Amino acid sequence: MAYEEPITDYDHIVENCTCAFCGCNCDDLTYLVKDGHVVGVRHACRLGASKVMEDMDQRLMVPMIRDDNGKLVEVDWDSALDKAAELIAGAVRPVFYGWSETSIETMKYGLELGELVGAVLDNQATICHGPSLQAVQNAGYPVMTLGEVKNRADMVVYTGNNAMNSHPRHLGRYSTFPRGYFRKRGRFDRTVVTMDPRYTDTAKMSDIWVGFEQNGDYEFYNAMRAVLRGKKLKKDIISGIPKEDIEELVESMKNVEFGALFFGLGLTHTLSKQRNIDIAISLIQDLNKFAKWNLIPMRGHFNVNGFNIFMAYEMGFPYGVDFSRGYPRYMNGETNTIDLLTREEPDVFMVIAADPGAHFPGGANRHLANIPVIQIDIHWGPSTELADIVLPGSFIGVEAAGTSYRMDGVPIYMKKAIDKPETCRDDEWIVNELLKRVQKIKGVDAKMASK
Amino acid sequence: MTYVDKPSVPNVVKFDEPMETKRDKLEVMLNTGGDIYQGACKKRGSTLKDEYRHASGTAYMDPRDMAKLGVKNWDTALVKTDWGEVVVFVAHSRDAPHEGQIFICKGPWANVIVSPETYCCCDPTYKGIDATIERTDKDPLLMADLMAEVYMKYDNDAEKSTNRLTDKRINVGKTK
Repeated sequence: MAYEEPITDYDHIVENCTCAFCGCNCDDLTYLVKDGHVVGVRHACRLGASKVMEDMDQRLMVPMIRDDNGKLVEVDWDSALDKAAELIAGAVRPVFYGWSETSIETMKYGLELGELVGAVLDNQATICHGPSLQAVQNAGYPVMTLGEVKNRADMVVYTGNNAMNSHPRHLGRYSTFPRGYFRKRGRFDRTVVTMDPRYTDTAKMSDIWVGFEQNGDYEFYNAMRAVLRGKKLKKDIISGIPKEDIEELVESMKNVEFGALFFGLGLTHTLSKQRNIDIAISLIQDLNKFAKWNLIPMRGHFNVNGFNIFMAYEMGFPYGVDFSRGYPRYMNGETNTIDLLTREEPDVFMVIAADPGAHFPGGANRHLANIPVIQIDIHWGPSTELADIVLPGSFIGVEAAGTSYRMDGVPIYMKKAIDKPETCRDDEWIVNELLKRVQKIKGVDAKMASK
Repeated sequence: MTYVDKPSVPNVVKFDEPMETKRDKLEVMLNTGGDIYQGACKKRGSTLKDEYRHASGTAYMDPRDMAKLGVKNWDTALVKTDWGEVVVFVAHSRDAPHEGQIFICKGPWANVIVSPETYCCCDPTYKGIDATIERTDKDPLLMADLMAEVYMKYDNDAEKSTNRLTDKRINVGKTK
């Protein structure tokens, strides 16, 4: 990469900001602010820096409604919110999807709104770590915090994810490189194993790469468990990996002091889906007979874990919560956004801080072309092309404060660094405003705030 | 340790060598997922720009597959699956060799061809989809054009083009 001059042209520095990109929630960022914009970010990775130093060309500044000709036209906040509230209040099966890039405070109002209109509340876990959450319900959750990994782990396993691309600071800040209390020499005291069919950037820098076959995850972990339990493997090559190598790997995994396994979407997106995670969790449980092992799912967005924790705490289910019967219900394959969309059930779809246009399969997105879509977001993205009402929100962690949960479940308060554009509103305000308007349409009194 | 040897990634792609096995169409396995360039471009919000088309609408291929197909970096190709077809760029994969597999970063282009089948596990099948890839003269569309052409939300008269979803659907009508 070409050398870039350090940024010296800035008005002031804001320290200890939290990155609003991935589940690492790095809380040591420094923003260089000039004229109310972040012009430089220190300590962040390429992803975090690119998000914080956003592309103002595509920033959504004013509310918009799609007119009869299919063009988005600017309107004032009142008419946009009224139209959105009208759609939500009149919907039979609304879906509120997103929430992972907004604060817990916003979710609180969203939940109240969802309960009131009988909506399905779902977040990005439905297309990424949903199977992991199912597996947690099946097999348990031997979890740890990232601080423990930093201080204790002498073996770090990345399976089915490419941390160097998706969570670039994960290795540098939490797992592999930092010097910890019991790992004084940092990287030299740790063994990094990557299990991935692709020879990814993470695999390139790890000590051991186990390149099992595509869709071979389940068989491979089962073979490891069998070896761990003292069984002899009957096949010579399992999922493309020679039997001797599996035995050697298991032996070295048994002989560590503290092992940490991080798993990603490579496991959840292949055919065995949650069964892959089941078996990985069972492997960790078996390994605990010999050494201390724990795992953490590599969560993608900075608050995707937050929604799951929030919903599980409030309603008992982590995601895909359906209020259409008046009480919370959760049924995999039924109350999840993708399944609802492929069955063409929803009649109003609200996207908040998410981008189904960019991340849903076309087979699911095509139903969005049939129904009104309300979008609350900060940038003009693929979903804006499908949206009928656009409400410009604000950027949590930069323009608005809020609480988020890191991938290991540690809550982090993200502070505000700069002011938002004048015409934008906070996500919290927008959802609360929608709630008030829907309450008015439905003739329901606003609940008195409890002490 | 005797683990599978880490393959070296060739820096130079030789296109003319295996020309005798050149084919018009390859049967491949399609994988989709994230990539740091796609992630940075998407989250910065530059999705309407040409940069996003290159970051996200690119099929990363094994150099040998590219030679078989007779394409070089930033040529275009048509990828077809049971679910749809889309025109993308092709480029040399950094994770090569992985003959018989192509990788397209998640984004509107990959969405047209991935499987929405969740098998009642809530998660669509984004990885391991059977696909074919062939050469084409057409250019990949920019994001806004692609969304308009594929989903036709505001244009009912639009003609079905090379970027389209097939009629294959799942579950529709079963619960209605």
